[in-house]
Parts: sequence; structure tokens; C-alpha cells
Amino acid sequence: MTNIIEVSQLTKKFKLQKPSSGLKSFFKPEYKNVTAVDRISFDIKKGERVAFIGPNGAGKSTTIKMLSSILYPTSGTALVNGLVPWDNRKKLAYDIGTVFGQRSQLWYNLPVQDSFALMGKIYDLDEIPFKRRLSKLVKLFEIRDLLEHPTRSLSLGQRMRCEIVASLLHKPQILFLDEPTIGLDVTAKEIIRNLIKKQALEEDTTLLLTSHDTDDMEKVCERVIIINKGKLIFNDSISALRDSYLNKKYIEVTTENGEKIKTVVNTKEKPAKQAIDELVKKYHVTDMTIENPPMEEIIKEIYNRG
Amino acid sequence: MAARFLKLCKLFLFIQKSNIKTAFLNKADALINVIMMTINNLSFAFMWWVIFENKGSVNGWQFGEMALLFAVMNNAFATFALFARGIQLLPEYIDNGNLDNFLTTPKNSLFLISTSESTFANWGDYITGFLMYFLSGYVNWKSFWMMMLCSFLAFILLYSFRLIMSCLAFIISDSQRLGDNIFMALLTFASQPASIFTGWYKVLFLTIIPAGMISFYPVNLIKAFNWEDFLALTIGISIFWLSSLLFYHWGLKHYSSGNRFGVR
Repeated sequence: MTNIIEVSQLTKKFKLQKPSSGLKSFFKPEYKNVTAVDRISFDIKKGERVAFIGPNGAGKSTTIKMLSSILYPTSGTALVNGLVPWDNRKKLAYDIGTVFGQRSQLWYNLPVQDSFALMGKIYDLDEIPFKRRLSKLVKLFEIRDLLEHPTRSLSLGQRMRCEIVASLLHKPQILFLDEPTIGLDVTAKEIIRNLIKKQALEEDTTLLLTSHDTDDMEKVCERVIIINKGKLIFNDSISALRDSYLNKKYIEVTTENGEKIKTVVNTKEKPAKQAIDELVKKYHVTDMTIENPPMEEIIKEIYNRG
Repeated sequence: MAARFLKLCKLFLFIQKSNIKTAFLNKADALINVIMMTINNLSFAFMWWVIFENKGSVNGWQFGEMALLFAVMNNAFATFALFARGIQLLPEYIDNGNLDNFLTTPKNSLFLISTSESTFANWGDYITGFLMYFLSGYVNWKSFWMMMLCSFLAFILLYSFRLIMSCLAFIISDSQRLGDNIFMALLTFASQPASIFTGWYKVLFLTIIPAGMISFYPVNLIKAFNWEDFLALTIGISIFWLSSLLFYHWGLKHYSSGNRFGVR
């Protein structure tokens, strides 16, 4: 399979003004350079679903913004579907879709269907293929009931489904998703993950998904790239990460008298099911949560192992 | 090329339709706003009429000249506010990262930013603009078309000047108010009789704060066309237009994109 994204030594530095008071800083401000992305290189094959994971401020969004032609890099090169993103912004826009969990591309006061129609015009979609495409996506993402509502009245989960539909209207080959599940509750997250994966498999869309939630990558992607402080520290399959670093489960149970008991299970030594059975036998459990290790711990582990 | 332009025109019309639809979510409110805007403008014009009635003229300007100035000014500002007001929000888009949405589409980002906001009430400015032209005493077909052309050129100037102010946000964060204030200063200077600015004030009036390109040259040209004023006006506006575009594209290369939560 051919590479659809090729990144080589990509670097982005930001010049930030040092915070200081006084008149001198007004006339002669001092700046410091912050390296958000530090010489990262990786390839992504057509149809691959790749998670771009890292803690807050790791450089995930900055990388995705360079690949989607929003930001110019300080140095390094990148090819997205054969095009240098920052030199071919308009041309590349037809090949990519972008979803930013933290902001909306839909018009705030307009009904959702009007926003879609506007997107259709922006992407030069002809009337009949546009309607056919919209109808397919509306069915897939189950948003028929939301079409007549203005964006402002949608819940975060509903809005996110509409955002993804808006970004898929022109049938992009690559979909960049920047924190698509941020701020969503557990159920809404699960729905969004399933829909993203279903769509990508159905249309062979290449996915690059950033998140600081390890569940996003496990449920949607097949490969994971981890970056920390702008540097690439892991680039392998999800199963490789799972075998090496995601073999711990954090189990928290609440007993009938409200006591919370936390335990960590190494699934290589003991299956999670066995650990849960033991807890249930020992306590009268009224509630239970099972979580993967937090991102910070995985990164610490990667560094510890060199 | 022609097909691309036609598609852009279709998109422009579609966006305007959407803007009107949004404004008409509350029809009464929209129409009252238009009426109030017209009354507000006319009361300002009335104030100048009273001044000219008592003073006769201000350095050679009479109410007729003032009415022509209001015609150009109101028509230019109406075009700006109805079809390109989004440019005024550019600093906000830059600060909160919403500019990203415009940069990932296949259309000209400046076009999409400009048309992203419209104030329906400013239809009242068109009403005032045409009314003032008819009250100016210089009504004939030649002056009418010159007034239309000068209004369009003044709109380009307002747009370019506001774009330059908005692009300051690429360098200075939270510069929305700064840009608004300087833009307001331009509008205030442009609303005065051009004849009161002489000497160095006139130089300032035609360069840094180019209000003279909205008042001085257009009024002269509508009254009696001459090539010198016309060339000075078009060259001056072209310089502002090109500078604003260069500044915007320079800014994009230095754009750092924020991550503040928000919607369009």
C-alpha cells in the first residue's frame, strides 16, 4: 500500500512574548522560542487509522494543523496525498476533512441542514450527488432529527456527529480529527468512536485522530503514534502498545457502605475477569469502573524502558 | 477562470441568502433596526443642515457637498457592513483559532471570512445614502454613476483599512478593540467636511488616516469629474488594497492558531 501521508523532520517553533509588566516591555518586548513539534517523522498508509496520542501540550494539534495546511512549519517537510499542505491549501482541501472538537465549523444560528448546504456550495458539490451523499451520511450518523435545529440548540454529542458529517460531505480521502471526543460523556464518546470507525471502514478513509484519551485509540485505530513535548516517542501497532504498556487495568469498586476500593491488575499475570470476580466475592459491590492507565503513566513507562 | 468566478458568485448569493434568513428569524426586530439606523443617520445629517443653514458654508463646503459625502460614506459603509463585516471579526478568529475553519476550505479564505458576518440593520445606510444623494442638488445621470463608482471605491478603502487593522492581531493579541477604535477614527474623520483639513492635517487625512479618499476626492469627482483626482483616488486605494492583502498573507505565515472553545 502507498503512503498517503509522509512527514519528515517536521518542526514548529512558536515565538512567545515573555509576560512582564512595566513600560520597558511595552516598547521592547522580550520573546522566547517554544518548540511545539520537534523533528518528527512518520508515514501513514492509505486507509490506515492512526491515533496521535499525547498529553496536553504535546504537539498533537500543532502537527495536525500543519498537515491540514493551517500552520506553516518552521522546518521539515510533509506530503499529504502527494501535496505539500501549506503550499497547496485550496487544492488539498478537496482531499481532506477536518474536525476540531474544540470548535465548530457549523453556523451558530443556522439550522444544521443549511450549514450542510453551505458546505456543499463551498466544496462545489453538484445538487444531486450532494443530496445523495448527505442522505447516506445522515442515515449513518443518525442525525435526521437534528437537521432542522440550529447549531446553537444541539448538545455537544449531537453537534459532534453533525461536525463529522459536515467534514465528510465532499468525501475526503483523509480525515483529521482533533480531540473529537473532548468534553463528551461516556455514552456519547462510545457512539462517536463507533461511527468514526464504521465510516472509515466503509469508505476506506485514512484517519489521523488526536486525543489524550487512550480509549479513543483502542476503539478506533490500528496504529498509534505517541508524542511528548514535541518529540515522537512511540510508533507501532495498538497491539504492540497493549502488550507492552496497556497491560494494567485500574479497577475501582464502590461497596454498599460507600467505601471506594482501588486496585491495579497486571493482565499479563491475572486476567481482569479473575480480578473482578475476586473483588465481587470479597465485597458487596454496588458500582465499578475499569480504566486504562493514564497517558502520563504510559509515557513515563516508555521513558523508563528507554 | 470564468467558471470559478461564477461558482464564487453563486456561493456569495447563497451566503447572503443565509444571512438574510438568519436576520429574519425575528422579522420585526430586523425591520425596526433598519428604520432606526435610517433615523439615526438622518438626524446626523439634519445636524449638519442646521449648521450650514446658520453658517452658510465651511471653507467653501455647503450642505450639497455634505450630502454628497453622506451619500458616498453611507453607501460604502452599508456595502462593508452587509457583505464584508466578517473582516472586523478577524482578530477574534485569530485569537480563538476559528480562523482554522476558513483555512481548510477550498475557497479564498478572505472571501469566506469577509462574508461570515452581516448586519442587516445597515440596509438603513443604503436608504440614507441614496436619499442624501437626491437631496444634494447635484442630481443627474453622470453624477449618479460617479457617486456609485466612488461609493464602491470608498468601500474598497474601508475594507482594506479594516483588514490592515484586523491583521494586527497576527502580531498583537486581543487587538479587536484597538482595530475597532482606529477604524472608528477613520469613519469619524471621513464624516467631517473635507475642507476643514488643510496643510499637514490634509497630508495625514490622505495617508495614514485616509479619510480624504472617502470625502475629499469623491465629492470633487461627483461635482465635476477630473482625471487628476480620479487617478489620485484609484492609485491611493490600490496601494491600501495591495498593502492589506500583503499584510494578510504575511500574517497567515505567522499564524499560531489558538484552541479556545467556540462556535462560528
